[in-house]
Amino acid sequence: MLLPTTTVVLLLYASVAIGVTAAVLAWRRRPNPGTGPLVWLLVGQSWWSTCILFTLSADAVGEQLLWTKLGWIGVMIVPVAWVLFALEYTGRDERITRRSVVALSVVPALTVLLALTAPSHDLLYVRVIDRAGDGLVLIEQGGVWYVVAAVYTYLLGVVGIIPIVGVLSSRAAAFRGQSTALVVGIVTPWATNVLYNLGILPSAGIDPTPIAFAVSGVAYLSAIDRFRMFGANPAPTLRAREFLFDHIHEGAIVVDENGTIVDINETAAAVLGLDVDRALGTPAAELLPTDGAFRTDGGDDDFLIVGSDSTSRSYDVTVTGITDRHGRTLGHVFTLHEVTQYLRQQQRLTVLNRVLRHNIRTETNIIYGYADRIGGRNADTIKRHTTNIVDLSEKGRDAIELFEDAMDGDRTQSLRELLDACLDDVRERFPNVSFRTEYPEADPPVSDVFGVVVGNLLENAAAHNEGETPRVVVTAEVDDGRLRVRVADDGPGIDEYELGVLESGTETPLRHGSGIGLWLVKWGTEILDGSVSFERNEPTGTVVTVTAPVAGSDGIRPDVP
Amino acid sequence: MASKTNESTVATGHAVSRRTGLTASIVDVGYRTKDVLTYSSAYLVFIAMIEVLTVHAVLSLPVNPAPVVVGLVTFSVYAGDRIADASSDEPASPERSAFVTRHRTLLSVLTAIAYGVAIAVSITGGPLALAITLLPGAFWILYASDWLPTLGAYFKRLKEVLIVNSAIVAGAWAIAVVGLPMAFADASLTPLAGVLFGYFFLDTFVNTEIPNVRDVDVDEALGVSTMPVVFGIRRTRRILYALDLLLVAFVCLALFSGVLSVTFAVAILAGLAYALALAWFVGRSDAHGRLAIAGEAKHLVVFALILVLSAGI
Repeated sequence: MLLPTTTVVLLLYASVAIGVTAAVLAWRRRPNPGTGPLVWLLVGQSWWSTCILFTLSADAVGEQLLWTKLGWIGVMIVPVAWVLFALEYTGRDERITRRSVVALSVVPALTVLLALTAPSHDLLYVRVIDRAGDGLVLIEQGGVWYVVAAVYTYLLGVVGIIPIVGVLSSRAAAFRGQSTALVVGIVTPWATNVLYNLGILPSAGIDPTPIAFAVSGVAYLSAIDRFRMFGANPAPTLRAREFLFDHIHEGAIVVDENGTIVDINETAAAVLGLDVDRALGTPAAELLPTDGAFRTDGGDDDFLIVGSDSTSRSYDVTVTGITDRHGRTLGHVFTLHEVTQYLRQQQRLTVLNRVLRHNIRTETNIIYGYADRIGGRNADTIKRHTTNIVDLSEKGRDAIELFEDAMDGDRTQSLRELLDACLDDVRERFPNVSFRTEYPEADPPVSDVFGVVVGNLLENAAAHNEGETPRVVVTAEVDDGRLRVRVADDGPGIDEYELGVLESGTETPLRHGSGIGLWLVKWGTEILDGSVSFERNEPTGTVVTVTAPVAGSDGIRPDVP
Repeated sequence: MASKTNESTVATGHAVSRRTGLTASIVDVGYRTKDVLTYSSAYLVFIAMIEVLTVHAVLSLPVNPAPVVVGLVTFSVYAGDRIADASSDEPASPERSAFVTRHRTLLSVLTAIAYGVAIAVSITGGPLALAITLLPGAFWILYASDWLPTLGAYFKRLKEVLIVNSAIVAGAWAIAVVGLPMAFADASLTPLAGVLFGYFFLDTFVNTEIPNVRDVDVDEALGVSTMPVVFGIRRTRRILYALDLLLVAFVCLALFSGVLSVTFAVAILAGLAYALALAWFVGRSDAHGRLAIAGEAKHLVVFALILVLSAGI
């Protein structure tokens, strides 16, 4: 259907009003990503419509031709601004440089130049072909360069749509709404222009593309206002992911299905002594030990060691497969996690364990033996303190074993066996203390670490209880995959100062506890991903409750530092 | 207070209560309307339209869309300026700043639509009308927005430059008020149009400096060089006297040279007398808002006098 000229004119006025409104709103949202190019885009389309309106209202043919030519400025601003907007809005602004903008603007600038100098050549002609009875002049535009300009414009339209379409699949509803509105905003005038150029769309000699910009303006306004285009912007997403990959503390190498390195971050390049530019596109087998730590099937359990002797660094290499939505493998990501400190700490603990287990016991045995020979009160004092040193060294050894358990994996035993073993030990050491137990019907497996925790709680409850008939009650419950052990005594209670130090998580030379037992309880429950609480027992004593997941349920795992 | 009145059990009490409630509602609506008109600068729209109608009357131009376009642009630029400066305006005009902040989204959309419609309507007046309509917006970008400083360290907002700030405002509005009705009417430039431009330029310049007296502390803190900041309030008042007297001399010259008719000269001189009287209050009155509005309202006085004197003649 041919639109009457008055309707066309009204629609052109509407497109200007809407375009300027959207441009003002976009201008006010600067410097949000995309605002600058969007303003240019809206100015370009409004100028295009304005020039058509001036062409229609001009009396002289020369004036009409002039406005038609000037309209090319708007025509060619739109595609360049659209591409720049799409890049900026989707966070690809690093591609927008002065050089790229100039390169993008070469064809538009030449087009405008050829349009303004139209009578002197036929590359892009703008000429009157007919005069209607109502004074309307039909202007024809064409030529070789017209085709070039049209193809270039459509090409930039497609180039700009590609990153915007990527946002269509965003999980954020606001981004999906924004990108849908933007695609509608750009596809409508482009489709109109294609149909007009193919002669499919009837028009009264007027290019209807700017009229379609009224639809674009409404779409852009919806994106700005309804979908908060400049209030919620996807631009940082891409950059954030790139930033994380480039600057993450772990090294990362991406290898495609053909075994070619397709991405590598700075950390990985530094660790492996590679040049990023050289590594990219190189077969992984040439640069990496793909038959060792970098095997795509997970490889052996050995660490990757870089360097030699004291300067060597150790890395735990993890491989993760990357698959498409059909589950087909696209490649692998190797991540390098440095474990040098962890391994050194493990070595130190091994040495300390030996010192505590063997050397101290040997030395104290000698002291104890000589004191036995001397005899008398002083010798008894020496022997008592020597025994204390042995006890302390055993506690230290417990602490080391606690951390070794955490590092080496999670050994388990049944709850009942573990509690019985702990109780047998304290019953033997504290025969005057009465122990009462309440076990659950279930007998789930629990981590060996739990033994250190419960053993120290029982020892603490019995050792400091100086009443006539000291009693300790041990209650164990299993509920919803979590084990709760409650140790209640009727002793003097734990000093608030000791609990305060424990709660602070650290000791200083001026503020410290009196032993290591409670620290073992705290560290053990932390390793078990559990919790410990201390309450006052009535009329005297303390109730300590330890809660932790039972072995095999979610959450219980060795806590490797 | 309303609930106490409603506690009355007698019928007349209810009637009184309703009347009191109705009166309170009307008063409340009145206050709200006043707030909307003043804080959003909507009252300036009316005054700007009156200025354009004055030009119509003086130049004997046919009725055209120029007053509407100028009104829309005035609303867009002034309300837009208040949106941009809402936070920095807070110390000097806390109520206005709170109003603008509360209705920021609505005002932003309305001002954008106003400019879009103004541009579309101005196209009906031809390229010159479009250019003149674009001028206040373009000047505002140079004047108040932070676009110019982004070009380099040598550039700063023209709003911060002494004399230039008020001159650019005065120039933009004088061109719009005088040029737009002429562009719509396709009228040629005459000495009388030149006189009107001079009048509106100097007058707008003076009216721009009056609110700067209220904002002197804020402007100084923000590094905005206005007359009160640079010359002090007393000297600013004297400069404003001098500018108004210069304008009187200019109008008298136009009258005696035959460019301006007696009717219009009398109306404009009466308006200037009113302006001189107002200038006396600059720096002496704390009612800064009312003083600024009274300064703008001078154009109502001039237009009313033109209507009365024209009808009388």
